[in-house]
Amino acid sequence: MILLFRIDDRLIHAQVVVGWGRALRPDRIVLADDVVSSTDWERELYAAAARPDLTATVLSEREAFEQISAGVFDSERIFLLVRGPREALRMIEMGLPADEINVGGLHPRAGRRMITENVHADDAERAVLREIVKKGITLEARALPGDRRVTINSKVV
Amino acid sequence: MEKGCIIGIVITHGNLAEELLATAKMIVGETHDCYAISGSDLCDEDVARRIDQIVSTGDGERRAVVFVDYFGGSCSASTVRATRSHPEIRVISGVNLPMLLDFVNKQDTYGLDEIVDHLLHRGQESIRVVKF
Repeated sequence: MILLFRIDDRLIHAQVVVGWGRALRPDRIVLADDVVSSTDWERELYAAAARPDLTATVLSEREAFEQISAGVFDSERIFLLVRGPREALRMIEMGLPADEINVGGLHPRAGRRMITENVHADDAERAVLREIVKKGITLEARALPGDRRVTINSKVV
Repeated sequence: MEKGCIIGIVITHGNLAEELLATAKMIVGETHDCYAISGSDLCDEDVARRIDQIVSTGDGERRAVVFVDYFGGSCSASTVRATRSHPEIRVISGVNLPMLLDFVNKQDTYGLDEIVDHLLHRGQESIRVVKF
């Protein structure tokens, strides 16, 4: 089962592995990313970033969707991690069921404006987030599980 | 190519890098060719740009050791990304004060791979139970 569906442009890092990992104790992180999955050194980098606390499985978006749909991870507690709003929307449009997405980290970058302390988005990304909201999905913006839960649905319209 | 001493760059979350360097200066007096970067405030491109700025000279690149705080952290990912194409840069994670002090002591006289061996050893041996 998917314990957490998270958007974080830093992918697998301490906040995810230690911050969320210790709180929710997943069996595995599934990183669904076309770039990382197709580059050997990036795959190794992010797989190593999860160890020793957690196991990371790096897949392309399509592979991740197919494996989840086929029930490969049904008996495990997993985090599903994607890098940004576009990636999340693509997974949803493939048919991934989701009620809620944790927008955990979209960091400052040229063109992005602040939505919350840890969430910054440019116009194109806001449009994508609006598409996600239209599907009835709640976007909550916590970097860490102990942070105050802030729903940002109304902040992207 | 050898051109001057080895540069030290410390990249960590928050102010750790600055404070580590400031603390090292308290102990050894002055340092040279050492830089602190708060990696958690910067995006990958900025980290890459800062490293490039530091190591590039008009005519080639200087040798450098980049110290990051945490293996697998976002600073370590940005740093790996930024340094993969630089053959004269080595990256070490888990930076601690004794390691940094050892670096300051050796950056003028040691070779790059030699200094890395020393730094790993020094950093690790300094982690011990203190009891007398």
